[in-house]
Amino acid sequence: MIDDELWSAIGDPTRRRMLDLLLADGGGTATGLSDQLPVTRQAVAKHLGVLDRAGLVHSTPSGRERRYTVDENRLAHAINQLTDVTDAWDRRLQRIKRISEAIEQRKRQQP
Amino acid sequence: MTRSIEREIRVQASPEVVYEVISSPEHLREWWPEEVDLDPVPGASGRITFRRPEGDKVEPVTVVEADPPRRFSFRWGYTGDTATPENSLLVTFDVIPADGGTLLRFAETGYDAASKPDEMLADHTTGWDYFLPRIPPYAGKLAQRP
Repeated sequence: MIDDELWSAIGDPTRRRMLDLLLADGGGTATGLSDQLPVTRQAVAKHLGVLDRAGLVHSTPSGRERRYTVDENRLAHAINQLTDVTDAWDRRLQRIKRISEAIEQRKRQQP
Repeated sequence: MTRSIEREIRVQASPEVVYEVISSPEHLREWWPEEVDLDPVPGASGRITFRRPEGDKVEPVTVVEADPPRRFSFRWGYTGDTATPENSLLVTFDVIPADGGTLLRFAETGYDAASKPDEMLADHTTGWDYFLPRIPPYAGKLAQRP
């Protein structure tokens, strides 16, 4: 099943945009991110905390701030979980189709 | 984010046949778990069992709607005795007659730890669509998956 913490961390649109910006820029600070987003630096810092706890970002000291980078493995893991679930249902639906059509064929062939 | 998957598939079989395949334990076993202990009537609770190399995985299931040959829905993915909208995933099959066959409409929707249903429902349709194309290295990896 889905890792709930990871799921809810990545489920918020602001946090996804932050990950997007961090990936594009190769990392960033709370101040740098808040300049590019319609939210306060304080809100950005809070979101970074959530991402950090989910293991999606790591930080290192940078002057008076902390510089955040995306944990690409962890992010790939989150995306894989999502596609696994979707792929699994696609396969099941294909099986439902095959089984139903085989039954229908047999019915039609019976006199 | 609310976990939500929606699909449609055309089946060259009557709605009665498709309904039977999605709801009867005999056929459920052919397309999903290895064992099914469930009476496909509204409100019934049962179990489905998946055989895994590491051992059996048993999941509780509760039927929500059973309206042959139109709709079959159930809740799963919960722990404990009772399935609720807060603790489980809802799977819905709509069986729709179409062109002498059937249009099978599937949806699986779920809960979110943050429990802000309206906001998340509005978000789920755009969330991953927006996000996935922006991560080219992973998109490439995913495309190569079998």
